[in-house]
Amino acid sequence: MNEYIEQEARKALEEGFDGVLGLKNRWGQTGPYLFRNEEELDDIQTEPKFGLAKTIRTMLKRRPDLKIAAVLRGCDVRALQELEDLGEISTGNLRYLGISCSLEQAALCNCAKPIYDTATCTGCWNCLEACPEDAIARINTCPILQPSEYNSGLAQRKAIYIPYAQAVPLKATRDREHCLTTTGVMDCKGCENVCQAEAIVHDDQERTKDIEVGSIILSSGFQPFDPSRFDTYSYAEFKNVVTALEFERILAATGPWMGHLVRPGDEQEPKKIAFLQCVGSREMNRCDNEYCSSVCCMYAIKESVIAKEHAADDLDISIYYMDIRTPGKDFERYYEKAKDKGVRFIRSRVHTILEQPDGSLQLQYVTDDGQKLTEDYDMVVLSHGLEISDNARSMAENMGIELTKGGFIQSSDFSPVATNRSGIYACGALAGPKDIPQSVMEASAAACAATSNLSQARHSMTREAQLPPEQNVRGDRPRVGVFVCSCGINIAGVIDVQELVEHARSLPHVEFVDNNLFTCSQDTQDTMARVIREQGLNRVVVAACTPKTHEAVFQETLQAAGLNKYLFEMANIRNQDSWVHGQEPETATRKAKELIGMAVSKVLLNDPLEEVKLDITPAALVIGGGLAGMNAAVELAGQGFQTHLVEQDSQLGGIGRTKRKTVHNEPIQTYLSDMTRRIEEDPLIQAHLQSKVSKVSGFVGNFTSTVTTDGQDTEIEHGAVIIATGAREHIPEEYGYGQDKRIMTNHEIEQALSRKEIDPGSMNTAVFIQCVGSREPQRQYCSRICCTQTLKAALEFKEANPNIQVFVLYRDIRTYGERESLYKEARARGIIFVRFDPESKPEVSLNQDSVEVSLTDPLLGVKLDIQTDLIGLASAVVSRDNSELAQMFKVPVDEDGWFLEAHQKLRPVDFATDGVFMAGTCHYPKPIEESVTQAQAAVARAVCMLSSRELSLPGTVAVIDQSKCVGCGVCWTVCPYQAVSENENKLAEVNRALCKGCGTCVASCRSGAPDLNGFTQEEIFAELDALV
Amino acid sequence: MTTIVEDIRASARKLLEDKTVDCVIGFTEGSVPMQARPFFAYTPEETDLLTWNGFCTSNLANFLIKREGRNAILAQGCVSRNIVGLIQENQVNRDDVYILGVHSPGMLDPGKIKAAFAGRNILEVRENGQTLLVKGKDFEEEVSRKKFKRDNCYTCTHRNALIYDEFIGEQGKQTGGGDIDKVAAPWDKLDPDQRWQEFEEEFKDCIRCYACRNACPLCYCKVCFVDEHNPQWCGKTQDEPDIYTFHLLRAFHCAGRCTDCGACESACPVGIKMRRLTSKLEKDIRDKYDYQPGLDLESQPPMSVYRPDDPEIE
Amino acid sequence: MTSEQKFIPKITAFLCNWCSYGAADLAGVSRLSYPSSIRVIRIPCTGRMSPKFILQAFRQGFDGVWVSG
Repeated sequence: MNEYIEQEARKALEEGFDGVLGLKNRWGQTGPYLFRNEEELDDIQTEPKFGLAKTIRTMLKRRPDLKIAAVLRGCDVRALQELEDLGEISTGNLRYLGISCSLEQAALCNCAKPIYDTATCTGCWNCLEACPEDAIARINTCPILQPSEYNSGLAQRKAIYIPYAQAVPLKATRDREHCLTTTGVMDCKGCENVCQAEAIVHDDQERTKDIEVGSIILSSGFQPFDPSRFDTYSYAEFKNVVTALEFERILAATGPWMGHLVRPGDEQEPKKIAFLQCVGSREMNRCDNEYCSSVCCMYAIKESVIAKEHAADDLDISIYYMDIRTPGKDFERYYEKAKDKGVRFIRSRVHTILEQPDGSLQLQYVTDDGQKLTEDYDMVVLSHGLEISDNARSMAENMGIELTKGGFIQSSDFSPVATNRSGIYACGALAGPKDIPQSVMEASAAACAATSNLSQARHSMTREAQLPPEQNVRGDRPRVGVFVCSCGINIAGVIDVQELVEHARSLPHVEFVDNNLFTCSQDTQDTMARVIREQGLNRVVVAACTPKTHEAVFQETLQAAGLNKYLFEMANIRNQDSWVHGQEPETATRKAKELIGMAVSKVLLNDPLEEVKLDITPAALVIGGGLAGMNAAVELAGQGFQTHLVEQDSQLGGIGRTKRKTVHNEPIQTYLSDMTRRIEEDPLIQAHLQSKVSKVSGFVGNFTSTVTTDGQDTEIEHGAVIIATGAREHIPEEYGYGQDKRIMTNHEIEQALSRKEIDPGSMNTAVFIQCVGSREPQRQYCSRICCTQTLKAALEFKEANPNIQVFVLYRDIRTYGERESLYKEARARGIIFVRFDPESKPEVSLNQDSVEVSLTDPLLGVKLDIQTDLIGLASAVVSRDNSELAQMFKVPVDEDGWFLEAHQKLRPVDFATDGVFMAGTCHYPKPIEESVTQAQAAVARAVCMLSSRELSLPGTVAVIDQSKCVGCGVCWTVCPYQAVSENENKLAEVNRALCKGCGTCVASCRSGAPDLNGFTQEEIFAELDALV
Repeated sequence: MTTIVEDIRASARKLLEDKTVDCVIGFTEGSVPMQARPFFAYTPEETDLLTWNGFCTSNLANFLIKREGRNAILAQGCVSRNIVGLIQENQVNRDDVYILGVHSPGMLDPGKIKAAFAGRNILEVRENGQTLLVKGKDFEEEVSRKKFKRDNCYTCTHRNALIYDEFIGEQGKQTGGGDIDKVAAPWDKLDPDQRWQEFEEEFKDCIRCYACRNACPLCYCKVCFVDEHNPQWCGKTQDEPDIYTFHLLRAFHCAGRCTDCGACESACPVGIKMRRLTSKLEKDIRDKYDYQPGLDLESQPPMSVYRPDDPEIE
Repeated sequence: MTSEQKFIPKITAFLCNWCSYGAADLAGVSRLSYPSSIRVIRIPCTGRMSPKFILQAFRQGFDGVWVSG
């Protein structure tokens, strides 16, 4: 065989091939080698240990003109054909010098189709290590590595892989399209051979199931705009032009460079970065996405600030933008902080990017005042927008769902999560570009809307777990069982498990020790429950992975064996031992012994804890009878719950009563009267008008509130509260407001128009001034709704009188999402937009019969004096004084007076205090459709709790030793959940329903009176003692 | 000095005669020289035994904790600040206390006097304005009072009672002239090893009699951590780790609460300067939180609340 | 200690269940490595942390205490 290969190789070299790729033994190992002259060919190896396809791919990608011959076996050839089919390489210049494999070799590459049974997989990930796509990759011969979706293609992954470290469930998945076996490229049984859980099923097939449901929620999200369509940005061409999503991954600790900020071209640290905004948004000519993607300004600012934190201080970041749109809660403050931190904001659209020889990029742009400038950057980040994928579009079309012009799901402003088909709802970016809090709100709102019609059927399909009665082991001598998990080879491959078993046996009170291949597998669980009963164990320790993922699993097993679930501890010998100390097995084993000793010491002290069950009052209180409150009440009743709606005014409707149309021209008054009628007619809703809540006691599931109406008190029992007290309009002190009746707020113009008190038809000029009282040092937030309102009014003026001159004086136009079409229309209709900076605001002067506005146009640099018949002031939305309510429900308000949610991104309608929720403009200024969304979301959150018949309170709560407490009050001041209070003896007392088990009270007490069940002083001391 | 004692007695007598209070807490002469001991007058007659002099070093606020009935108490600056602290900590009800505010002349340190007269047996020390008349069996000497003041009284910042129902005598100079930061400052100059050495040196003589704890109005737990046995935070021995644990934790418990009244040092039989620790805490709290304990009833002690903008302490 | 012996400090880490403890797990998932002389004690929240634990750890002979949350 060697002779034949040598002969063929010589021939190829004689024929003028650039080289022959084969295997050569060098420095004690065999590896790929390019033979360039005949003398070398004596050393050519033919034992085919490695495939060469990957090497060929790399070579041909780098130099497609290379003419080489290669010593290849069958699978290499198939892999190369596959690569050619994928368009990766062209094999035209390649000569195959074929060899055949020995029988042993063929046996090694056994053929199988790795398909995966997620129910059986334990997440040990041996398969990942075994997949030849990686195993071979390490010796640089694997034919195919796929770009990692999680890392935006900046890193690679194998064909069997964990999508990312925090994936739920944390199990491997397989890429059918690239797995060597499923694609038929070559046979491989690698993952199956190593999977000890036998979770990989070769011939598994895709299955179709029919599920009968009452409602459908569409939430398929968006796809990021692909900027390679734009040649302007040269994204496809220049390596150091990245998308914001890629940049996000570069910044991430789990990203391709572990959070070290480098540019992809040469992995050098950039010193200067430019962000280009509105890539694929607000652009009709090139990408056809007219709308604003709503999130890019904020993420660009965030990424800039984080990049500056990651890099040294001298990192220079510029953001090129048209309008900065930060209308979300706390966003404006973040924007201002970014400016303070030195992020440069340049109002300009970059028209050309040129790559320099060193990979840096030259931007060419025109400034506001017409100067043509160029600036060099090391890296350019494209803030690409959101768009709906073709798949999502066709899914919607197949379902008969109407879409908006931008391709998002169409909905009414009054039912923002409902589609045109009854029973089908939509949420998230599929229903319009939006950020996380808005998506989370919509998700809850969709859950509310989707379950409203199904509430009759609630609980009809649930099954309750049947558990044996709990044995009382209090006072019994401890009998501890220790289960040591091998986790396949994850633990056993590093740690000597037999030694652990012996060690555990030697520990006091340990009566039973076992070693399992996978302790978490169902059959081991069954065995464990049996062992607990048979051996009379009353404490259990599992030495395995992490309690964060598996504690609950094992606790269920304890319960199934009739043991209190708190008589359990885990020793984390995988994630925090074998996986991190793989290089030092001996010390890892020693550490594992200590961890087990620690867990045993603690479990000996564990007490069976009681999970108290509390009944829930299935009723709700809604405070505030505006649009949000009314919606909340109607939805709560729709979900089948008794609802009390408290409104201080004599009528329902709030500020909505003064408005005519929504952004999509839907009539508000018709809607309001319909809602009022529904509230009046619904037997489940009781409206308390001219009333206020004067007293509150109780906690989640069990509130008692006093509602005072005309001096009369009514006590109401309820399980949940939704606060929807709204906001009000700021009364301007600037721009001559109050001095002339022609100077009005937008709100007043709206009312005047509806009462026909003003007539645009008789006017020559109208001027609207934006950001009146918003985005000011004393009110550092954007009022979110004013730009849209102004544009609606301006267009209405133009509609009524095409000859009128309308000016909009603005700082940034913030028509986020598909509202952008209003802005576009306004410009098309000849409305004149003049920008001003906060340092040079327009000035209003009053003459005898005219009002004059003057300002300097920053584009033209000339001073404009506008004689006008009307000035509309977009005055800020400001919070009401909610301090009394906040105090009663023990909930916080932020520095601007808005109610403060539990988490600004992930829990936008919840308070940190359980059972209390918020909706509407008391949370932050927002338009009607967002208020309705939040109301529905609040209802969904409340119903989650109200619909469970009882509350089960965890056992891990604080307890106060009354004999030690001196009543100094430190604990009830520091408790973040208001769970500790003063009892009738003037000593501290814990409300279990409110306690979250954080232990702050325990640490704060000088007298040692509080202790935390599950993490007692004694237990933590025992752990420490065991560690010596 | 005499007049103020008379004024105190008169006020106390009136309070008891009018039944405004059930008891007046003050001082009476001790049984040995250079000592005044706390005294509880329940009848108008007993008020004649009250006194007020430079040896009134106990902190009377101690006796107010959860005390029944209505009590009057003699309070100079530090004691009144401790009363404020105790009201904040729910240990004293303001309505049940009648505070007889006084100005502190700066209390004396018998240890310093004894040291100055080493080898001689002092039988009497008489205060006379800015001088002291020290008498023994066969000697009589007049010395400057200032030299023998307690350390904490040098660095005092509030000598007049801050809250009171009645002020007896005249308000006097507020400060003792010294700078408390100078007590704490040396710590900042030391590296960790030196600090540890200093600390060991200072506390090595402790016999764990707990006199400092018992004298302190901040220590009113029903079970002190040193007495706990389950878990045993602190061993019961005289070994260094146990001594250090005791003093470190005791100091931490005083953070943001200590008024530098000096009762601990005055009570110590072996002359340990606990203030070397507490003054550092006092300085840190003042620097970081702009807070001095017991100055007013409204402000919240920084260690009892959490604010997101709490300063970071290096 | 002779000069050849390298000082390896024994460190006990009190980690908040919700963040740092999870991060320590993640370090494992990512197959990072760190010295095996670190022992982790899981606490429900750093609010639970008491200075007494720190003192106790030192009394037990640890060279360092790390609180993270």
